[in-house]
Amino acid sequence: MTEQDILTAVQDIFRDNFDDDSLVITRETCADDIEDWDSLEQINLLTAIEKRFNIKFKLSDVRGLKDVGDLLDLVARMV
Amino acid sequence: MSYTYLITGATSDVGRTLIDRLLTGTPDALVLAQGCGDLDKLAALCQKFPGQIRPFDVDLSDRAKVDTFMQLLETAAPAPTHFIHLPALPVVNTKFKAFDQTRFDKDLEIEVHSAIRICRGVLPAMARAKFGRILFIQTSYTIGCPPKNTAAYVMAKSAIGGLVKSLAVEYAKFGVTVNCVAPSMMETNFLKDTPDLIVQAAAADNPMGRNATPEDVVPAMAFLLSDEAGFITGVTLPVTGGSAIV
Repeated sequence: MTEQDILTAVQDIFRDNFDDDSLVITRETCADDIEDWDSLEQINLLTAIEKRFNIKFKLSDVRGLKDVGDLLDLVARMV
Repeated sequence: MSYTYLITGATSDVGRTLIDRLLTGTPDALVLAQGCGDLDKLAALCQKFPGQIRPFDVDLSDRAKVDTFMQLLETAAPAPTHFIHLPALPVVNTKFKAFDQTRFDKDLEIEVHSAIRICRGVLPAMARAKFGRILFIQTSYTIGCPPKNTAAYVMAKSAIGGLVKSLAVEYAKFGVTVNCVAPSMMETNFLKDTPDLIVQAAAADNPMGRNATPEDVVPAMAFLLSDEAGFITGVTLPVTGGSAIV
């Protein structure tokens, strides 16, 4: 699975979670860029990503994520 | 006076821990224990307290079955001195756009409508006896700002809160107290549909650094059920490790 594949799948999850079909995310996208992206939404995103990629995050894995790039790297290490 | 505890949702982790607590050292107490398709979970307690637990398999989502249950209790068991109502469907974390109306209606039946019908059944005898204890389990989500994505759960629990306050003032003069405990996230089988990350995050964010357990909550319940708590009614007692403070 390429990073682009992961990005595309993660973007679909973001679009569904934030109810915005036109949402485009990049490696640099962070919580400041999406108004509704708070700590609970972050967990919802991570839970959906766990389900989509059949992986299991630990809280310590995800507490330090700064942006989508960190998230993609984490997923890439686990798939 | 020997006590008869009617416990609905008795097969839950909290229910079983409470039964153990209430029956330990009180050989004259009786528990009328409702479960639904899972009475085998009471087997160990039935062995530990022979003759003191009478299990009933009742589907609380069916009003006719609740009414039949109450009629059966009237003829076949001593009038409950204490009623503890624990049943609820597990929390589903879902956005309001995906609100499951059917599931919510079922949760209201199990949690709220059954409570009303059972209260109507047990309260007259409690009022005549000038003694009674009714206890519900609410949630810290009803204290202050609730977490997002829990509308169904928070609405049903808020209805319970309204029932508690209303019954408390109406039955105070009859020596009947009506209260609830409001635990923060409790690590039991009830969380089977809650993602692990949410459970871990709740533990990390709790001032005590962990989630609640039945062993944290049951002593508070036992207190509100005790004789000594006779002047406490209409309260919601938070058991939260400090994560929600009134």
